[in-house]
Amino acid sequence: MKKILIILTCLSTLFLISCGGKKPGGNNRAVIGIPADVSTFNPLFAFSVDEGAITELLYMSLADYKWNEAEGDLEAIPMLAKSWEWAKDSSSITFYLRDDIKWSDGVPLTVNDVVFSLDVYSDPIVNSRLYGIFDDFYTDEENHIDAAKTFVVKSDYELQMNFKPHSSPDFVDINHPIIPKHIFEKYARKDLETAPDNFNPVTSGAFVLKKWDKNQTITLAVNKKSFLHDPDKINELVFKVIPDYTSRLTQLEKGEIDLMELIRTEDINDLKSNDNIFLKTMDGRDYEYIGWNNIDPKSFEDKKEIKPNKLFGSKETRIALSYAINRKEILEDYLYNYGELAATPISPIFKSVYDSDIEQYEYNPEKAKQIFKDEGWTDSNNNGIIDKDGIEFEFTLTMPAGNPLRPYEATIIKNNLKAVGIEVNVTSLEMGAFMDDIVARKREAWMASWYISIPIELKSFWYSDLESTPLNFTGYQNKKADKLMNELTVHLPKERQKELYYQFQEIMHEDQPATFMYWIADIIGINKRMRDVNITPYGAITHCWEWSVK
Amino acid sequence: MNKDLLKALVKRVASSVLTLILLISFLFVLVRLSPGNPTQKFLSADFSPELAQRVTSSFKLDQPIAEQYFNFIVNAVTGDFGISYNYRLPVFTVVWQFLSFTLFFSFLSFFIQLFLSYGLALKAIKKTNGRLDKFLSGSSLVIYATPSFVLGVFLIFIFSAKLDLFPSAGLKSLDFDSFSLPGQIWDYFIHLILPMITLSFAGIAMFYKYLRDNLEEVYRQNFVLNLRASGFKEKTILKKHILPNAARPLISVAGIELGILLGGTLITEVIFGLPGMGRLMMDSIFSRDYPLVVGCAFTAGLLMIITNFIADLLKMKIDKRMIKGLMN
Repeated sequence: MKKILIILTCLSTLFLISCGGKKPGGNNRAVIGIPADVSTFNPLFAFSVDEGAITELLYMSLADYKWNEAEGDLEAIPMLAKSWEWAKDSSSITFYLRDDIKWSDGVPLTVNDVVFSLDVYSDPIVNSRLYGIFDDFYTDEENHIDAAKTFVVKSDYELQMNFKPHSSPDFVDINHPIIPKHIFEKYARKDLETAPDNFNPVTSGAFVLKKWDKNQTITLAVNKKSFLHDPDKINELVFKVIPDYTSRLTQLEKGEIDLMELIRTEDINDLKSNDNIFLKTMDGRDYEYIGWNNIDPKSFEDKKEIKPNKLFGSKETRIALSYAINRKEILEDYLYNYGELAATPISPIFKSVYDSDIEQYEYNPEKAKQIFKDEGWTDSNNNGIIDKDGIEFEFTLTMPAGNPLRPYEATIIKNNLKAVGIEVNVTSLEMGAFMDDIVARKREAWMASWYISIPIELKSFWYSDLESTPLNFTGYQNKKADKLMNELTVHLPKERQKELYYQFQEIMHEDQPATFMYWIADIIGINKRMRDVNITPYGAITHCWEWSVK
Repeated sequence: MNKDLLKALVKRVASSVLTLILLISFLFVLVRLSPGNPTQKFLSADFSPELAQRVTSSFKLDQPIAEQYFNFIVNAVTGDFGISYNYRLPVFTVVWQFLSFTLFFSFLSFFIQLFLSYGLALKAIKKTNGRLDKFLSGSSLVIYATPSFVLGVFLIFIFSAKLDLFPSAGLKSLDFDSFSLPGQIWDYFIHLILPMITLSFAGIAMFYKYLRDNLEEVYRQNFVLNLRASGFKEKTILKKHILPNAARPLISVAGIELGILLGGTLITEVIFGLPGMGRLMMDSIFSRDYPLVVGCAFTAGLLMIITNFIADLLKMKIDKRMIKGLMN
């Protein structure tokens, strides 16, 4: 017994000593809580959002971007390239690289690394995340960049890139993180995916990888040799892997982490009363929608035949459905107005092309009933459900499991639609199974959200060719919209661009291929000791070498 | 006897190998037939639609399942379960990175469960139906019935969020590398104390209940009375006669419990952000990392078989008559 007491006393003493105000995140370090670990530090294979963000801190690109609030667009700023020059007809671009950039092993970074990187990104054997996007470059039949035709190396720091005639290259298609040729050229291309240097990388960015404790922490140290280095800013950035949302939130409240994204609205009041935390939002990147299958799933599955959906094939019906759903109630009661009603898939953040005059389909069950009646949907057998040609308006609304917003939304939607004579059965599926079904366009109606790209990408989601657009889950087809989307893929004067985007939004609003619910704000909790954290729609942790701590 | 033992051993090993082959074969087919597929993460406006097709082909998922299975078995015989789709490393390299923590965590928890339940059961049995016995018997059921996620969140709320005595998650501090060796050990200790309580509480209650009831039953038997009457010391009776008899049923349960622990302690790992097999297995299922799912299941199955085998050997050590029955 005595022995036990002695041991307990020793342990307690040690414990009390250790509790002496030690707070992770002290000194000049910022700690970010993330839900899942990365699996690589090679930008070739950085498929997840966090992998993309972290590899961009490690590897520099020719240029970086900043968000132009007034225009609502990205603005390229010099990084590896101190300047660049487009040919007047956009048939080529010449980059002038800085001559003071070195890889973390001391080897100078030159245009040879740029040529090598783009060559590898486009190589079909590699399966890089950028495979297949180099349409504007000279490529072979497998979309591999033809280096001889494309690149003209004028010196170690000057590179000209040529593009196919009549192509319309965009800066974002050219500008990618550059990888070190002297490291990766020693691997066979097919082995790049499993190369040990993916996990112990030689880098050029604002940070270098200091330590990776798998599924625990990723520690980046500031690259003191980088021209971006400022001794007054943070010297270490830690990504702490905390899979459980509640644990992540507890760590934010305790000051164990300094920044956390995707805070749920039910936790806002607690966080607002915490003196050590302030909240910021990243607006307009994520919209919630109800997908209506525009086409008949059975005909499509059996014969790949496109037939209008019996319930949702008519745009008038889809408009009536949008009128029947009280989106504002969900926005106010569940999201506490952390977001705004969506009219189309074009986000309000793109100020120069967003049409703010488009009228929302405000909640109006009477108007919805009238449209249904005009469309021939009436309750002929008085069972409370409207019907047409012997078909009752009853369907299953599917949602992916895991997001607490969705069951709440589903209840409101079910009740709203019940009020206009529509029976909704709600079901939820595990995300993988859910994706399988909506990619195959098997589901009648579903709830989901899209995290939108910057710059605006439309063809992937709304183009009529259903074979080449697996993301057009609703099976939406409109020739006029196709024409606009095609025209928008080439360089246009700003006024013309605006005109086309306005027309596209008008069509989307009139066709309602989906009910666009709301743009949900990404609520970000930040410890008050953090300074210079600039949250823009471009991202929460971009330019974090500019952060400092109190 | 030696010949019998050898025969029984060979039979046991053969049946174990067959079980494992059936397990991985069943899983191999099942994960491929289930909805979802590993190339879903390549469906994005940021990626070309051709990428998903290329990846499908590079994972050889466009081959018929029978062909995939044949190739898998041929490679598996040499210990090659393929490359994890997510980690881009050989399956067992990934498994080992997570298994090492799970082995440490599970064994520690297992021994804590055994020793504490043993100590408490001995204390309680000394005075059957005494205050301690009544309290422990009553509370053990409540503790056993408390889900670990409730207990874990409760402990974090009280001891971490409110009292700020322990870290809420993670295995070590961010400044771990700058600590001295005792400091590092201490750091591990304070990080693991809440997860260890969460993981061990239910096990302690279960083992306690088993051991206490078995002890009581054995104590009541006539041979104990006989031994006492013959003048044997109470300690000798307990150590040499009561405990071996009372422990035998417990060993089977302990073998299964250890097997479950080694297969991953998912909820505790998720709540406390610990890098163990449970999380690895769950992530591999959600991301449809087929080779890793099979690799994790194989490892968990193998550990379950080994722990049960060890439990059977222990039982055999206690009672040699059990050789044939146990080995079969």
